[in-house]
Amino acid sequence: MLLEAQAVSKAFGSFFAVRQADLCVDEGEVVGLIGPNGAGKSTFFNCLAGDTMPTSGKIVFAGQDVTSAPPETHARLGIGRTFQVPATFDEMTVLDNVMVGAYLRHSHHGDARVSALQTIELTGLKAQTNMPARSLGTPGRKRLEIARVLATSPRLMLLDESLAGLTPMELKEAIRLVQKIHEMGVTIVIVEHVMEVIMTLTRRVLAFNQGHVIASGAPEEVVRNEAVIEAYLGRGRHKHRSRST
Amino acid sequence: MVAAAGPDGQSVKIPGPTPTILLAAGLLAYPLVFSGPFYLDIGVTFLLAAISASAWNIVGGYAGQVSVGHAMFFGLGAYAPLLCYTLFGWAPIAGIPFGIAFSIALAVAIGIPTFRLTGHYFSMATIAVAELIRIYFGTWDLVGAAIGLQGPARARDWWDLTFRSEVPYYYIFLAVLAILLRVTFMIEQRRFGYYLRAIKAGERAARSLGVPVQQTKIRALTLSAAFTSLAGSLYSVKTGFVDPESGFGILVSVQMVIIAALGGAGRLYGPLVGALILIPLQTTTNTWFGGGGTGLTFILYGGIIVLIARYEPGGVFELWDRAAPRRWRRKHAA
Repeated sequence: MLLEAQAVSKAFGSFFAVRQADLCVDEGEVVGLIGPNGAGKSTFFNCLAGDTMPTSGKIVFAGQDVTSAPPETHARLGIGRTFQVPATFDEMTVLDNVMVGAYLRHSHHGDARVSALQTIELTGLKAQTNMPARSLGTPGRKRLEIARVLATSPRLMLLDESLAGLTPMELKEAIRLVQKIHEMGVTIVIVEHVMEVIMTLTRRVLAFNQGHVIASGAPEEVVRNEAVIEAYLGRGRHKHRSRST
Repeated sequence: MVAAAGPDGQSVKIPGPTPTILLAAGLLAYPLVFSGPFYLDIGVTFLLAAISASAWNIVGGYAGQVSVGHAMFFGLGAYAPLLCYTLFGWAPIAGIPFGIAFSIALAVAIGIPTFRLTGHYFSMATIAVAELIRIYFGTWDLVGAAIGLQGPARARDWWDLTFRSEVPYYYIFLAVLAILLRVTFMIEQRRFGYYLRAIKAGERAARSLGVPVQQTKIRALTLSAAFTSLAGSLYSVKTGFVDPESGFGILVSVQMVIIAALGGAGRLYGPLVGALILIPLQTTTNTWFGGGGTGLTFILYGGIIVLIARYEPGGVFELWDRAAPRRWRRKHAA
C-alpha cells in the first residue's frame, strides 16, 4: 500500500467539504477521482498533498503518517501534485521552473540542470526551454506543471484537472504523456471531468458527491452507477436528457 | 545573468562579462576623473546607497519579501562601531562584527514571527519594528539617546580609518560592493537563488515542490541583514557620527526600497543602476534648492514611487528588456 487515507474529513466552519473519505492506492496504480463541481474532490486532494490539514482522519504514505505534515515534507517523501489553476512561476523560464523541482533531489547546479533538461525533453517542452512561463498558453502551463513535479522524482503524482480545457489533439498528447509517466513507475491519482481521460487511463475510480465517496470500482461500472448518474444529472434524468437532445 | 548573447555574438540581454568589466573600470576610474570633493562625495554616497540597496535586494528583490524596515539592520551596524569607540576606546571598525552579529540575531528573531505574514502585512510589521528600535534608541542614554554617538575626531592611528580625503573610503566601499555583488551572483546560480525566486513567484507552488519556504526566507533575511549592517557600519565609520534618525530613520529603509525598485528588484545590477539614477538626482535637487532639505527628499521619493508603481513596476531593467531584445527574442521564440 503506497497511500492510505482513512476516514478523512475536512470542515470549513460547520460545512463539511469532505466527509469520511477513504482511499487506498497501491504502487503502480492509476486511480481516478470524479464528481460534480463542489463535490469535495479538490479539498480531498489538498488534504492528500498536505496543503490542507484534515479536520479528522489519517493519511499514511509509504508507511509514514503524513496527516499533519507540511506540503514540503510530502514533496520530499515523494508526493508530487499539480494545481487546478496552473501555478507556474510566470516570470521564470521553463527551464528555471523545472530546475526548482529538480533541486529537490540534486543539490548541485549541474546535476539539477541535466535532470531538468531531461524532464523537459520527456514532457515535450524542449522548444520552449528558455521562454518565460508566462508566454505559454494554458495547455503549455499545465504541461510545465507536470514537468516541474516530475523533476522532483515523485513516487505518487496527484494530477488536479491537468488535462482539462485541452483541444482533442492536445488531450491525446497529454494522455500519452501521463501514460509515459505511469510506465516510468509513478503511481497516479487523477481528478478529472473529461471522461475520455478517466476511461483511458484509470482502472479504478472513486466518485465524490457532497463530500462523500458515493461509488468506487472499475470506471465502466462507476459511470453506470445510479447514484453517480443522479449526482451529475439529478433526479428525473431521463426527462432532462430527452429535453437536451 | 547568463551571458545570453545571441548566437550572432551581439549581447543584447545586458550581462555577460563585458558590461561588468566596463562597469568596474568606470567605477575604478571615477575618483581619478572627478577628483573634486563634491563629485567624490556623490561617488561615496552612491556606493553606500548601492551597497545598502543590493543587500536589501537579496530578501526584498529576489525573495519578494518587501521589507520597509531594513534601517533596523543599518542602524545596528551604524551604532556598533561608534559604541565600541565610546565605551572602550576601540578603533571603530572593531565594532563591525558586533553590528553584524546583532543584526543576524535580530533577523532571526524578526523573521520567525513576521514571515508568517505576507505582502503588505509583512512590510508593515518591518516598519513597526524599525520604528520601535528608533524610538527606543532615542531615549537610551548608553547610546547617546537623541543626540547620538560620535567617532574619533582625529585619527589616532591607521585603524581608526579616519581620512581627510574621500578617496580611501571610495575604494573601500567599492570593494565591499564588489564582494556583495559577487555573493549575489553566486546565489543566483545556486539552489538558494532558484528557491528565492520560486518563493517570490508563488509560495504555495514552491512548497509543493519541496522548497522549505520559511527556512529559505530566514536565510535570505540574515544574509541581507548582515550586509545591510555592514553598510551601516561603513556609513558611521566614514561620517564619524550617528543618531537615531540617520541610523534607524524610515528614510533609510525607504531609500533602499526605492533604489532597488527603480533599477530593478531581483536583478543583480538593479540596485546599482537605481543608485546611479537616484543619488545624483537627489544631490542635484538638494543643491539647487539649498540645504539638505529632507522634505524635498521625501517629495522626490514620493514622485518616484508613483512613477514606478504606475508605469514600470519592474524598474529600469525591465524597460530595457522590453525595448532592447526584440530581435533576440524573435530568434529564440521559434
